[in-house]
Amino acid sequence: MKPFLESLGERVLLFDGGMGSMLIAAGLGEGEAPDVWNITRPDVLMGVHKAFLDAGADVIQTNTFGATPVKLAASSRGAPPDAAKVNEAGATLARTAIREFGFGDRWLAGDIGPTGEFFPPMGVLTEARAFEAFRIQAEALENGVVDIFLIETMYDIREAVAAVRAVREVSVKPVVCELTMERKKRGYFTIVGDTPARAAEELPAAGADMIGANCSMASAEMIDLASEMRALTKTPLLFQPNAGRPEMVSGKAVYRQTPEEFAAEVMKIVEAGAEAVGGCCGTTPEFIRALRAKLDAWR
Amino acid sequence: MKEHLEQCMQAIVDGDSPKAAELAKASLDKGYPVLEVIEKGFARGIREVGRLWEEGELFLPELVIGAEAMKKAMEVLRPALEAGEAAEKLGRVVIGTIEGDIHDIGKTLVATMLSANGFEVTDLGADVPVKRFVDEAEKTGADWIAVSALLTTTMPGQKRVIDELASRSLRGKIRVMVGGAPCSKEWAAEIGADGYAGDAVAAVALARQKTA
Repeated sequence: MKPFLESLGERVLLFDGGMGSMLIAAGLGEGEAPDVWNITRPDVLMGVHKAFLDAGADVIQTNTFGATPVKLAASSRGAPPDAAKVNEAGATLARTAIREFGFGDRWLAGDIGPTGEFFPPMGVLTEARAFEAFRIQAEALENGVVDIFLIETMYDIREAVAAVRAVREVSVKPVVCELTMERKKRGYFTIVGDTPARAAEELPAAGADMIGANCSMASAEMIDLASEMRALTKTPLLFQPNAGRPEMVSGKAVYRQTPEEFAAEVMKIVEAGAEAVGGCCGTTPEFIRALRAKLDAWR
Repeated sequence: MKEHLEQCMQAIVDGDSPKAAELAKASLDKGYPVLEVIEKGFARGIREVGRLWEEGELFLPELVIGAEAMKKAMEVLRPALEAGEAAEKLGRVVIGTIEGDIHDIGKTLVATMLSANGFEVTDLGADVPVKRFVDEAEKTGADWIAVSALLTTTMPGQKRVIDELASRSLRGKIRVMVGGAPCSKEWAAEIGADGYAGDAVAAVALARQKTA
């Protein structure tokens, strides 16, 4: 299989969609840490990975978004599960899905989300504590054998940089880092006020091979951000918007955007110059399939 | 005095806790009316911080340090307020993130802003059982229960808080506001909540408007 970074320059790559909404649909209960299903419900995870592979995703993501030891401890009642085991199991089973279902030409991304704690003045998270949490997670993902690392949904550059450095400490594989931003009057910002310009400068300097944005925004809102970031940097870009904004219907989250609408808008992100695209919350395999068709026709 | 009030406001906007405490002490030393110092000085500052945050001019760190400065000023002023003029409490609020949900930051922000704006707040933290919300509200004589839920899977817990109030015949006596990323006005209406607040500033406005 071709190295990931080499392929980036040749065609637009497609990442998979939202994991959380798939697991909820499969019966994930209130207050249950989704990451633990890597150990307790591998059958469900195999099914989700297969669905995204069938839909045509070039890259699938491990179910380890909340699997730093810090986040796992916070989301577990009683004794927290062993973070290394949860991560390694997540990587191993996704790797198995790729092999068993005959998708040897796809890449596996080890997914890393925020610790859930905040740096001062909002919280007491330190650089050292964040680094150590990400190092433990990255090492376990490396042991389960991933092809690349995907750090996502970061809202504080300090935490994102700690994650990139931690991955760099344990692996030479490509690292992608996405922030999550909102559009304000003066432009795009994370909740702590970090900007696309800072991301473009500091994340590659810390060792990220690709940067981008995910979550928070629907596909239409992310198009201008893609143009803005393209103007800022030559570093490859990845964008993974949500499937519109969720609406609550009888206590359930419903994403009203259709796969076709989503795919049409994400193609504008591609036209703005992104090297890779995918989906976040609410994007089922149908969304990825619709996007696959449009990407194939575009190429 | 006008200049002093401007300085009080600015200390909050700047998030300067030592300065806010110092100005609060100076207000007492000079014998300025405490309520006026709060309302026309410090509280104006925290409202300005809230406005700038909503406008996207300030972000979470500035909002937090502004609220911290407000707290420091209030710590100095509160004893004088309670001793002298009739302590004008805007109301009591019991707040927490619903059981099964550990998302804390939004809820803490709302708690801080409510307390910075003169509400008496009991923050129960995250992963709070339904009964505990209602027990605590009964115990403290709360006007409001504020229930945060950040997950579509934990939102139904907000409704259970309302059901629990109903089963103890406390509906109408204790109001319920809901918030958190997946919530909306429609959701609040659907479950019969008394209000929805999309952020900390909206929560303060809602509590002010309906606590009378």
